[in-house]
Amino acid sequence: MATPADLLPGTLELLVLKALSLEPMHGWGIGQRIDQLSRDVFRVQQGSLYPALQRMLRKGWIRSDWRPSEHGRRARYYALTARGRRQLEAETAVWRRTAAAVDGILRVRLADL
Amino acid sequence: MIADLRARARALIFRRRWQRELDEELHFHLEQDVAARIAAGAEPAAARREALAAFGGIERWREATLDASGVRPLHDLAADLRFTLRGLGRNPAFALTAVLVLALAIGAATAVFSVVHTVLLSDLPYPHADRLVQVYQQNSPTNQWTLSVVDIQAIAEQQRSFEAFGAVRPGVAGLAGGGEPEQVPVAWVTAGFLSALGTTPATGRLIEPGDERPDAPPVVVVTARLAADRLGGLRSAVGRALLLDGVSHTVVGVLPPGLDELAGIRAAAWPVLRTATPARRGPFGLRGVGRLRPQLTLAAAGRDLAGISRRIYPLWRAGFRDSLARLTPYPLRESIVGSATQQLRLFAGAVLLVLLGALANVATLLLVRASARGHELAVRATLGASRLRVARLVLTEGLVLTALGTLAGIGLAALALRLVGLIAPDLPRAHEIVLDARSVAVAVALGAASGLLVSLSPVMAVLGGRLVALRPEGRRSGGTRWTGLVRGVLVAAEVALAIPLLLAAALLANSLLRLQRVDPGYDAGSSLTVWLAPPPARYPDTTAVRTFWRRAVAVAVETPGVVAAGLATSAPPDNQGEVNNFNLTAHPVPEGGAEPTSPWSAVSPGFFPALGIPLHEGRLFTDADSAGAPPVAVVSRSWAARYFPGESVIGQQMVEGGCYECPRTTIVGMVGDVKYQGLGRDGEGVYTPLMQSESRRAALFVRTSAAPAGFTGPVLRHLRALDPDLPLSARLMKDELRRALADPTRWTAVLSAFGAAALALSSLGIFGLVSYLVRRQRREIGVRLALGAEPRAILRMVLARGMRYVLAGTVVGLVLTAVSGRWLGSLLFEVGPNDPLTIGGVTATLLLAALAACLVPGLQAGRIRPVEAMAEE
Repeated sequence: MATPADLLPGTLELLVLKALSLEPMHGWGIGQRIDQLSRDVFRVQQGSLYPALQRMLRKGWIRSDWRPSEHGRRARYYALTARGRRQLEAETAVWRRTAAAVDGILRVRLADL
Repeated sequence: MIADLRARARALIFRRRWQRELDEELHFHLEQDVAARIAAGAEPAAARREALAAFGGIERWREATLDASGVRPLHDLAADLRFTLRGLGRNPAFALTAVLVLALAIGAATAVFSVVHTVLLSDLPYPHADRLVQVYQQNSPTNQWTLSVVDIQAIAEQQRSFEAFGAVRPGVAGLAGGGEPEQVPVAWVTAGFLSALGTTPATGRLIEPGDERPDAPPVVVVTARLAADRLGGLRSAVGRALLLDGVSHTVVGVLPPGLDELAGIRAAAWPVLRTATPARRGPFGLRGVGRLRPQLTLAAAGRDLAGISRRIYPLWRAGFRDSLARLTPYPLRESIVGSATQQLRLFAGAVLLVLLGALANVATLLLVRASARGHELAVRATLGASRLRVARLVLTEGLVLTALGTLAGIGLAALALRLVGLIAPDLPRAHEIVLDARSVAVAVALGAASGLLVSLSPVMAVLGGRLVALRPEGRRSGGTRWTGLVRGVLVAAEVALAIPLLLAAALLANSLLRLQRVDPGYDAGSSLTVWLAPPPARYPDTTAVRTFWRRAVAVAVETPGVVAAGLATSAPPDNQGEVNNFNLTAHPVPEGGAEPTSPWSAVSPGFFPALGIPLHEGRLFTDADSAGAPPVAVVSRSWAARYFPGESVIGQQMVEGGCYECPRTTIVGMVGDVKYQGLGRDGEGVYTPLMQSESRRAALFVRTSAAPAGFTGPVLRHLRALDPDLPLSARLMKDELRRALADPTRWTAVLSAFGAAALALSSLGIFGLVSYLVRRQRREIGVRLALGAEPRAILRMVLARGMRYVLAGTVVGLVLTAVSGRWLGSLLFEVGPNDPLTIGGVTATLLLAALAACLVPGLQAGRIRPVEAMAEE
């Protein structure tokens, strides 16, 4: 198994948006979901989620409220707002274009030029 | 954007809840993680360790989240404020002293700003007030007087400069109707006066040009207060009748509530001013007020008016030979405020000095406190707080104290402005003074500046690392050589600021003492006075009035216990009556030159004995000096000395009031000087027989065999028996004389209070400084004593160290006073601003007070036990 990679800067927020687009989740759940989605390729230091969530709250991408968790204990759940959904789409599009471009560059051989 | 503000506001306002929730969230996360790891088969201890590792440091991410919330600086501020308030709460005496001193200083400065700004700087409360002017007669830059009917009519007909122009004559009238008869201030006005000011009535109408016609019914505009007191309020006042000097006037309008002053004249009623066709250029006594046309300059209006002066001069030359007199416009503001300017400047200057002294004092307090807390702050620094952060704490403390002081100061200023009437009852525009937004803004700005100033030295001490000495003696006393020097400089500044205040107070007190010793020229202790004004309605002509004068004197003299009684159109100590021009037959004025003028009273024969005015030469008036008899005059001794130096004045003749057709007036007697124009002025005066005068108003003076207070009742009863409808009120001449001294007494009291405050503040400062120097050098002093130094030598050394700063401050203060010039000017009487005795006395007083303040710590220094002092390590 390969060593988990550090996250590219700025991608943590995209991953959080994606995780929350599936279902509203508390902080720990978001971390688990990111691990699961990335099949442990990315290893997020879990504490770093909270400053990111705070920034995203201030940008109005997500909202939060307290509700009982699956074990009955109170937890803060985060959910995507309409603006967050638009942000996710926009960032996804940018990511795809960038990834495709980088991928294209990496495939180039001298003969193709 | 809105989400951002909402999130920040939440984090800020529900700070505790926000932090609690963050803690709860982070703990939930960890426990959830631990539980998951245990469920996956890990040992509980290992699970916890792994969870913590995966999280990456709770405190670190907690702080990072706080940073991300965007309210960090505000959180820090809140923490600083809490820390400061806790600190101040632990030392309430310090906090209270500092806040109180600051509140008094900032409050006084704010109140003075409000007064100065309203009275001296702000526009008069009339639309386009910058275009309002008052017109004077002027024959030299320093000699101005009022206008006559001729001038007013000529200006009204010929002027091309004014949108509106009118006249006003302030005076007093007997008022009857709707209540007890009384004498009230009134001002007779033309329609042009009110329209020039742009006055609008609350109800009814104002005076209109048609009201000025001789056949129109007399009308009056009244203040809202008079309407409420006598006429049943604003609504019912219009249409009612008021008797003014016995003439029925119909009330046509009421001024807006609160407006009882127009163009600097306070009056309860504003009846129409009617001008009869004049027979000669004088008499003067009318004030002309006009509104300049837009864009027209004062100089252009001056040229217009000067042209009018030249055109009317030849027409009235027979009775007025001053060819130099010109009608001259001055800004209305200048003529209203003029006299108050100097006193207000003095007052503002004094308050500024007190404010600076107070700031120096609080700065010392803060520095001492910072030094005393040097260890606490040093501990904080070693615990990781940066010097900058500690400096911020010290600054916060200074700012919190001044903020509290400013708040309290604004309250004090509001209170003080209600008392302005007590300190300066004659201040022009006093009714306009309020604590407005501008004053509050000034208070806040003053507070902020003060906060920075008082925090300056302790903050510098912290930043420079000068708070805590490395050497043991410094550690004990909480301070370094640097803080000692700063405190010395602050003390010197306090002394320097106290000197001008003390000097001003001493000079004013000196003047007051001299004023009190002035001989007013009459016996004030045993006479009383009643103003009489027989109304034209019941006393239609001169004969009737003169009969009334004779009867009034007769009933007064018949009152048991009355020694003498007489009438005069003037009343010492501050009512000079009329001013008249004259031309001496023996020493005539050159053709076209300005004739001399003098205070001019018409008096009955009994006037001189009633006030105990001595006859020096010639004779007094007798009943033979009546209407048909040749005109005669009695003059005062200093008048005689000025116009006939070295000659006898008896038998000299003069032309009176520019009437060259009238028979010459002969001087028949010379009496003692009476101070008519205030105690500080000279005693020139001319008296003519009341029975040769047309005057309708005179003061009755009654001299009694015992204390006059007991005779007011009987005298008034006799006068009422003569005419029950006359408004009468008696006053004691003794009280009038005291009233004349009220103004200088008040100024002396105010400045003495300031001076005393400054002296007390600087003495406290000196005491604190010297005590501190002794504490800091305890070891050194101990060593000296152990080596055999006399306690007296130690005392000398301590005194020298303390007095060094005092002397420096004294020199600076004296230089400051000398360069600030003749700041007391005309408030002084018979004392120069550089009076060496006063300066010497003030300096000596201050040095003695400083010496006394040094003495206690100095004596204590001599009693230090060497062994203990050296053992204290």
